[in-house]
Amino acid sequence: MSTDIEVHAGPTGSRSPQGGGRSFFLRYLGRELGRRARQATVIALGLAVGIGLVIIVSAAATGVKNAQASVLHSLYGVGTDITVTQAPGTGSGLGGKKVGVQIQGGPGSKPSVCINGKCSSGSQTIDNLVGIPTNKPIRYSDISKIAELAHVKAAAGGLALNENRLTVSSHSFAPPTQFSVQGVDLAHDNLGPLSNGTLRSGRTFRTSDAKSHVALVDADYATANKLKVGSDVTVAKHKFKVIGIVSQPEGSSPPQVYIPLAEAQALGTQGPSGANLKGYVNTIYVTATSTADISAVQKEIKALLPKATVTTPSSLASEINGSLGSTAKLAGDLGTWLSILVLVAAFAVAALLTMSAVSRRAREFGTLKAIGWRSRRIIGQVMGESVATGLIGGVTGIGLGFAGVAIIDAIAPKLTAVIPSSTGLQFSRSVGPAGSVAGGPVTGGPGGALGSPTQSIPVHWSASVTLAVVGLAVLLAVVGGLLAGGLGSWRISQLRPADALARVD
Amino acid sequence: MYKLTNVTRLYQKGRHTVPAVRDLDLEIPDGDWLAIQGRTGHGKTTLLQLLGGLDHATSGSIELDGQDLGRMRERQVTRLRATSIGFVFQTFNLVQTLTAADNVEAALIPLGTGWAERRRRTAAALDSVGLSDRARHLPSELSGGQQQRVAIARALVKEPKVLLADEPTGNLDEDTREDIIALLEKLWRERGLTMVLVTHETAVAQRAKRIAVMSKGRLSSRATGAPAASVGPVPNS
Repeated sequence: MSTDIEVHAGPTGSRSPQGGGRSFFLRYLGRELGRRARQATVIALGLAVGIGLVIIVSAAATGVKNAQASVLHSLYGVGTDITVTQAPGTGSGLGGKKVGVQIQGGPGSKPSVCINGKCSSGSQTIDNLVGIPTNKPIRYSDISKIAELAHVKAAAGGLALNENRLTVSSHSFAPPTQFSVQGVDLAHDNLGPLSNGTLRSGRTFRTSDAKSHVALVDADYATANKLKVGSDVTVAKHKFKVIGIVSQPEGSSPPQVYIPLAEAQALGTQGPSGANLKGYVNTIYVTATSTADISAVQKEIKALLPKATVTTPSSLASEINGSLGSTAKLAGDLGTWLSILVLVAAFAVAALLTMSAVSRRAREFGTLKAIGWRSRRIIGQVMGESVATGLIGGVTGIGLGFAGVAIIDAIAPKLTAVIPSSTGLQFSRSVGPAGSVAGGPVTGGPGGALGSPTQSIPVHWSASVTLAVVGLAVLLAVVGGLLAGGLGSWRISQLRPADALARVD
Repeated sequence: MYKLTNVTRLYQKGRHTVPAVRDLDLEIPDGDWLAIQGRTGHGKTTLLQLLGGLDHATSGSIELDGQDLGRMRERQVTRLRATSIGFVFQTFNLVQTLTAADNVEAALIPLGTGWAERRRRTAAALDSVGLSDRARHLPSELSGGQQQRVAIARALVKEPKVLLADEPTGNLDEDTREDIIALLEKLWRERGLTMVLVTHETAVAQRAKRIAVMSKGRLSSRATGAPAASVGPVPNS
């Protein structure tokens, strides 16, 4: 056999000095993708849309989740793991009795105000500080019992109240005014709503302020009512000196005025003309020794206070409604299914097109088999082409995903979280459970109706792409490519060289 | 050396069994050039595919250098094709996306030949068919005759013992046909190939050392016109 072969210059230009056909593999792969650019584009775009959707949905879900966490933090305060409240009509303590307020008369006639059937006539101002009706008072002594539980790190009490003021006379009838007041446990002011606040001016509470008429005022409320450090704010006919202005994270619905817990207990009643709240709180804030202990603490508190509502972040998150909840559901349910559907469709299209391409290339593969290529090598070539197409789709999909996320961030509607009152974390604007005035119901402050069992909190959110999601996108691209290539490869393995060569192009 | 004993290849077409090759006995010594003639559909291509291990006989045995192709595993047959058998097809069967050089180089990939060696042998093979200056051209940029030369270079670059050519001039004009046959004859002489060439063209067949005619799956001998070749009988009568 002749072996007199001369050495000539390379016919295909410079190549990497690799043996084993790797350079050939890449050359062949590149040329095939170039030749079938339109088909490769269709497959890659299909995968890109699916992967882009996965990124967008995941980013939206992450954004909503972050928003939920933000809502929880703003409600709980940083560091609080659990809140303990008690619904009206359960357990021991104050409350349970319905309170009625009736105002009769109007302009030109002698007004009459009846509270629990006890009426007084003539011009008058009603000014009272009442505990929120959705939370039944809990004994202050229960806080120390909770604090002694095995997995509890700290516990503090809070008293959520509403300051209601109504002035009636024969000449005028002003709508009632109302603001929320929070009694702060100065021994543990690192727990509860105030813990999340930022001092904007003045100072915060000191332990020595426990029995002083001093108050912190929410920044928004202070602006709306032109209050500043040194101003007076009247609570239950008592003047409180504003010592500081605090702001809470955006999206929260904070109390408008904070006063020392002891003062809140002394001035507050459970409903108009109701029982005094001395020795009571209506929310207990608890920190567990670790996140893993939250469930155990929940059980321990339940055992200690069987009729109490023990709320953890996860249980509260599940109760958040409103557009935030709807978006969470949309992202979680519809978004996920839409992503899966599009991905499955993209995978199916990729697989079908690849199988079709394999059929069209039967003669080519038959020829390669005839010159000694093993099926495994041909399959590797096709798999390589499919995975490369998948990766192109993946990269495009990541680009689409980021673009989609940017669009969502640009046009995302503002969401609201509706928090059920059962959590005890709302600041109700109701006058009383049966509050009403002649001539129709009295509406409360902005954003809610009297006696509303829920509160709406505006939530700012933005979609957030994590590294894990990008990794997932790449994985999906590779899986899509492998799936399409795998089906094409199965077709190749079924090809007999003689049959393949007999095919007409 | 090929030795075919009582080879039959049956195809199932619907409810009918069609014999493509029937009770065929044949010996092809090393260095032989056998031309197989016959009408379309009489089993010429099937016989070539059986010789190349691309198809399996329904019965009988096909031995190449004492190895029964029918008893070999698929990967062994594939390896045999990669090392010892070159194919040339009527329609050239070049990979359209690869250049002439890449098409030739593809035949060296299964051998695990290193990059530098592949490059050297590819260049030499293209040179041997007179296409050094067309190495970077795609098949679509080559004439039919040039494409067939590339296919011949691809078949011979691995230096096989056997060259199986199925109507290698079937798609070429008369002048080009003569060029290709002259090239095959030259390579056969120079390299001591065992060459089996299927053709329906008598002028082409007469260049071979021996001629056999396939008719209805059976093989019969016929005189050859090859002036330089010693004419021997085809064992099968």
